[in-house]
Amino acid sequence: MIGVSEATTASAVDFPALLERLRPELEAIIAQYEEPRSALLPLMHRFQQEEGYVSREAMSTAAEMLGLTPAIVESVVSFYTLFFRKPVGKYMLQVCRGLSCVIDDAEEIMAYFRKQLGIGHLETTADGLFSYEEVECLAACDRATCMQVNLEFVYDLTPQMIDEMLAAIRAGTYPVAPLAQTRKPERTWKVPQETRGKSAGAQGVSDPNDPGGVGDRSGVIMLERFTQERWLEGRSRERMVSDAAAWLATNTEEKKGH
Amino acid sequence: MASITPVLMKGIGELNLREIDVYKTQGGYAQLERALRELASEDVVKMTDASVLRGRGGAGFPTGRKWQFLPNNGEPRYLVCNCDEAEPGTFKDHQLLEETPHQVIEGIAIGSYAIGCHHAFIYIRGEFKRGYEIFRDAVAQARAAGYIGKGICGSNYDLELTLHRGAGAYICGEETALLNSLEGRRGEPRLKPPFPAVKGLYQKPTVVNNVETLAYLPWILKNGPEWFKAVGTERSTGYKVVSISGHVNKPGNYEVALGTTIRELIEIAGGMRQGRKCVAVQPGGGSSACIFEEQLDVPFEYESLAEAGSMLGSGAMVVFDETTDFVKAAHSLVRFFAHESCGQCTPCREGGHWLQATLERILCGEGLESDIEILKSASHQLTGINLCPLGDSIEPFLGSVIHRFEDQFRSYIKQPRTKVAS
Repeated sequence: MIGVSEATTASAVDFPALLERLRPELEAIIAQYEEPRSALLPLMHRFQQEEGYVSREAMSTAAEMLGLTPAIVESVVSFYTLFFRKPVGKYMLQVCRGLSCVIDDAEEIMAYFRKQLGIGHLETTADGLFSYEEVECLAACDRATCMQVNLEFVYDLTPQMIDEMLAAIRAGTYPVAPLAQTRKPERTWKVPQETRGKSAGAQGVSDPNDPGGVGDRSGVIMLERFTQERWLEGRSRERMVSDAAAWLATNTEEKKGH
Repeated sequence: MASITPVLMKGIGELNLREIDVYKTQGGYAQLERALRELASEDVVKMTDASVLRGRGGAGFPTGRKWQFLPNNGEPRYLVCNCDEAEPGTFKDHQLLEETPHQVIEGIAIGSYAIGCHHAFIYIRGEFKRGYEIFRDAVAQARAAGYIGKGICGSNYDLELTLHRGAGAYICGEETALLNSLEGRRGEPRLKPPFPAVKGLYQKPTVVNNVETLAYLPWILKNGPEWFKAVGTERSTGYKVVSISGHVNKPGNYEVALGTTIRELIEIAGGMRQGRKCVAVQPGGGSSACIFEEQLDVPFEYESLAEAGSMLGSGAMVVFDETTDFVKAAHSLVRFFAHESCGQCTPCREGGHWLQATLERILCGEGLESDIEILKSASHQLTGINLCPLGDSIEPFLGSVIHRFEDQFRSYIKQPRTKVAS
């Protein structure tokens, strides 16, 4: 299971009992299609609805039911952004960064969310309540800037609406039901794509939505893995880039010395 | 002054068309019943062909002709309704799905009858959770009323309809990627040929039609192909739901006759916000190039927009006033396509990513003079060399605005350092 951390290797729920309960429904889904494999996405949706994310058990169970290998199932699941391969917050806040929202006031809305939540794109708050993601066009361009809260639309966003929404969710009075949460989420649910990483040449490219942040962190993440050192924490963007450059320079000199 | 002509959108906002009884008071399902009672399936194909109804999803291929590509080899046939709407700026299928689900069901049933399909599918974008639930309830009502299932409307024609939810991938709106996704695979487009009409879902003859396209079928049957052909232009017939957003007073979906000018459409959408000037319009969704203020009298139809250097695409118009930051707008679209690339073709996967990185460098004030040329040269290196149209869609908007608003791009780029004499 490339890229899936240890924390997700076991489900926190009583999976056999869950499966026993869902089995008739899952079999009915499979029977809708001429070929069982077609039921893969619906099955994953159903398991995620119960567990809050797509667990390893869910993937191997689907593989067994559909006559596939777990690797094939994961290769499909990892293609789709609405399947979470690691636990997420109880409220998934997905703000639209599509064209019509960007030429409206999406930038201010996104900056406001980041500030109020204290987290960035693809991150979860420490209390496990909120996950935050900036997503592509949600097809509600007439009501920009828009977002989805657990896939329910919220339109014409203003900072005041955001304050009210976050307060209501914290108070448990928000009209949208929370997602299932069977395991405590980590800081991010994003699984790094080790097999298809972006080119390291883009490191140090700034994030236009997060002044002082870094848009493409893949180069630095590679450096983190290689040096076993935390490069992303507690450093300003400039500091991180200059530290990385210094490290590379030293390392090259050492090599020359040999 | 052209006006709005609600056909598909008739009753939206006034009636609860999600209820089958309300839909039937408006003449709903009457055309499906009539087709099954009076018309042979070939007649429906002929009428659709005669109406020159062109696909409303983006490619604009004539629907009747698409159906006629199906081989007569006795294999089962499938009809798949494409509701994976995710093109930036487009929100028409979203509204049709939620507000008039029965019209979509009737269209699917008529289309299925026309091509002899007994198992139809609708692929609904994963984000449309509410739309999926509304549509699922509508299908249950239609099933109970005998419009879906065995022997529909008392005929000997059987039709099953399966709802399939996507899970967040724009590329699944491309028909072969959609079929792969429906088969439980990664949403990666297939090599064409074979086209879906020959080898589609489960390698069987398949037609993939957009929601809006299918929703027009009951109306074409009701009023006849001549009615549809009488409006629009010679090769762009009929009506079209246009999604208008951006810097207009009343963004929304407006149904008009094809051939209405862009300027008229802006007026229909309430005119420009705060009386500002329109400097550019993207007429066909995120994949299309911009047209500019001197071109606003171009008719909104397939041929004229192509001649103007853009395309009608999904019929989503984004309107920009003079306050627009086109560097940020281009960045948003390039980031979208880079994010949604399936990764199969190198030009699309790498090209999108590098264009995004270059634009981000410019936006952060770290751009180089040479970046402008890099961005301008992208069209030669990205277009026409990918499996599907996504790779070709990355560049048109960027290419059109960087030539027109080069000053905006340059203003982000730091002044080059004065050379120190050596």
